[in-house]
Amino acid sequence: MDEDNKVTKKQVIETEVPLGTVHSAAIEPYRVRLFVEDEIVKDAEITVGVNHRGVERIMEGLPVEKANSLTEKICGICSNSHIWNSVLVAEKALGIEVPERALYIRIIMEELERLHSHMLYLAHGSEVLGHETFAMRIFYIRETVMELLRMIGGNRVQYGVPIIGGIRPRAELDLMRIQKIKDGMDFVEEKITEFAERFVSDPMVMSRITGVGILKKEDAIRLSATGPTLRATGVDIDLRRDMPEYESFEFNVITQDDGDVKANILVRVLEIPESIKIIRQAIDHLPEGKITNRSWDMEDSPVTNNYIEVPRGKLYHSYSLDDGRVRNVIIRTPSITNIGAMEYACIGYHITDAQLAIVQCDPCFTCTDRAIKIIQI
Amino acid sequence: MSLKSYSRARSVHVMLVYTGGCNGCDIEIVNCIFSPKYDAEQYKIFLTWNPREADVLVVTGPVTKHNEQPLREIYKAIPEPKAVIAAGACALMGGVYKNINGDIPSEEIMGPVDKIIPVDAKVPGCAVRPEDVLAGAVAALPKLLNAK
Amino acid sequence: MSIADSLIAFIAVIGTLILAFFVSAWLPGIERRFQARIQQRIGPPISTPGIMAPLKFFFKEVINPNSPMPGLYNVLPIIGLIITISLLMITMPQLYVLAAFTSVIALVGLLKVEEIIYMFMGSLSQSVLSLKMPFPDIVKGAKHPGVRRSFVEELSSMRAFRLIAFGSFPIYIAIFVTVAIAKSIYISDIVSYQQIHGPILFSLAGILGAIVFFIGFMILLNEYPFAILKTKADVIEGPLLEYAAKYRAYVYISRGFLIFVLASIFSTLFLGIPPNILSWTILINIAVTLVFTMIMATVSTFSPIFTFKQFYPLVAGVSMIGILAIIASFL
Ligand code: SF4
Repeated sequence: MDEDNKVTKKQVIETEVPLGTVHSAAIEPYRVRLFVEDEIVKDAEITVGVNHRGVERIMEGLPVEKANSLTEKICGICSNSHIWNSVLVAEKALGIEVPERALYIRIIMEELERLHSHMLYLAHGSEVLGHETFAMRIFYIRETVMELLRMIGGNRVQYGVPIIGGIRPRAELDLMRIQKIKDGMDFVEEKITEFAERFVSDPMVMSRITGVGILKKEDAIRLSATGPTLRATGVDIDLRRDMPEYESFEFNVITQDDGDVKANILVRVLEIPESIKIIRQAIDHLPEGKITNRSWDMEDSPVTNNYIEVPRGKLYHSYSLDDGRVRNVIIRTPSITNIGAMEYACIGYHITDAQLAIVQCDPCFTCTDRAIKIIQI
Repeated sequence: MSLKSYSRARSVHVMLVYTGGCNGCDIEIVNCIFSPKYDAEQYKIFLTWNPREADVLVVTGPVTKHNEQPLREIYKAIPEPKAVIAAGACALMGGVYKNINGDIPSEEIMGPVDKIIPVDAKVPGCAVRPEDVLAGAVAALPKLLNAK
Repeated sequence: MSIADSLIAFIAVIGTLILAFFVSAWLPGIERRFQARIQQRIGPPISTPGIMAPLKFFFKEVINPNSPMPGLYNVLPIIGLIITISLLMITMPQLYVLAAFTSVIALVGLLKVEEIIYMFMGSLSQSVLSLKMPFPDIVKGAKHPGVRRSFVEELSSMRAFRLIAFGSFPIYIAIFVTVAIAKSIYISDIVSYQQIHGPILFSLAGILGAIVFFIGFMILLNEYPFAILKTKADVIEGPLLEYAAKYRAYVYISRGFLIFVLASIFSTLFLGIPPNILSWTILINIAVTLVFTMIMATVSTFSPIFTFKQFYPLVAGVSMIGILAIIASFL
């Protein structure tokens, strides 16, 4: 571990620079203590828990429908993923058949969300790079996706599309909506390709992001990184390939080898066209029929769990059902397993690069700070 | 209009403090100030991260335990005249985290915001819409303009 | 010199200063507007950042900054402003009589002081945003509990110190290009040399020197991509964090003014046109200022922040061009 000037056990640490909880590069409240020596970060400590609201605790004992929509409030960036996974757990526990059409629309929502989340990542990354123009360009493209989400779900942030047994009637896709999504996807694809070309051919940006925040494959696995962060180190893993929901879709898993900021950004940039591909497939083969299956009965069930792949990695939800109410809720979001990678990635670089190295893992501390202790009743 | 209020109306620095919540409001607001679509700068509203520069403090989120003291400190650091906008259901009444619960309520929420610092304008919504935030900033302006 | 002459000279100096203030107040607005248009948005009205914002800050409550020496900290921007004004005065033709003070050496010295001020600011500011933030940091299980803790501003102070060592190199080299061509360190000689031989800018050495000067100009102004003193990514605003109310207004004003002054130094040294309100050539000064502002806005919108990793090679490379220019001036 020593050879690439990363952590060593014994070292002289000169100063600590605490950043946060209100900080321009973070936006979300978290505290990071950087231990620096001559402006080079020697060690880092990220403190989460600033944002702790105890969602798991307040979910305890709520009716399952209500609990499902509460999971949406865990995170405003990947709200659909949370509610989707939570609904999937209930469906798995109760053995509910979901109409095909609803499954497809859920996939469309999820991929739209991935688009907006990745674009937010790019924009935020550019902000931290100090490149306001790129951030603006990306925000401009992102607006299209946000409008599509608003159109389908009725809200720009929490759309609440999946419900147990299908999707909300409001989210039904008629011909006009389908046309709008198609146009939106064409626009996004064109603009994103343009942007990506512009981005990789910018020598100044490239010199900032290549070779910064390097995370090696072994380290990433050891630190249990997940999602695009892990894919950027060369591990070919994507839960979407193994999820039954994605069975009928064709897409490529993007990997990069370097594990630095550039690789991380490229993985996300290249995943955007893949998501667009999935959305197009879903729209083209959208089955006809009902969107909700309402013929199911509530039963008690033991703890059931489910994993899905969300924009930041693997999301885990589990709960048991007791008299129509949820018990023993456990939620594990991808960002919490990425924290080790974040702390590790910023060691050995200049402070300005350290923030970049944290941001490269696409942190979402709001997701992370959802529960610290789980209360057993 | 006197020169004082004229200049105040033509340059408003907004600071965002995000005190918990779900990230939704926060992104919508940064988005609203930033993105070319809404571009708050054309209405002379600038985003800043420094309380000494700010005139308007936008607070989102239900104020969790660890955020209460920082919020007070930042509010104190802003020189008069200042206005506070609470944005989002969380900031207004604690949102789902305070008001919805199963068997045990959440003990982490110290909010809503007006329990901690005086609030001048309230922007509802979950998440707030960028248009509403701009309207909220306009609603908070008279307090700034008419201050001594 | 008769009394009437000195009276006219006095009025000219004051008039030029007032004009400079008037022009410089619009520069930040023009810059911001230009950037906004490149970013495909409308952007603020051009009067807002340079005129309305300082005015607004004048009407704010004066607070005591969090600083070990609040008095000194608050006085620093005023010192900076005075230095900027003296920089402009040095280049005015009416004051060439003060021979020794109107040399390039004085110019370089004053620029140096301008940089040192940032270092002081950084070490005197203790904002609430980093160490003072009430947060239970040092708890059981925290990493390295005994380490010395510092404010983010200290970081920018250290960076300012480094910048003093090498950051301002390009602008000095560019200034000495003109010295090498005119073979005199007096500004009056450099100006009169150009009145005879035509502007230095239109020679090979002059063009190289102008490029170097421009890079130095951006470094001195801490404009993106050279804003390592005040990057948003770590130090937020760096040394300026604690300025509030009218002191922040001074910071705003002196920034706009510095743009004008540096641009007019350029037109004095490279075009042979000192700022002088009594001559129509002042229009050229203003034009040069506008061009500089716009080029700066364009460059800064299209570049990310440079860390020292990019900074060192860039400064080294630019300095090499500067040295080339000096060599070319002897040919
Ligand atoms: S009001 Fe809604 S969107 Fe905003 S922070 Fe709270 S839960 Fe999130």
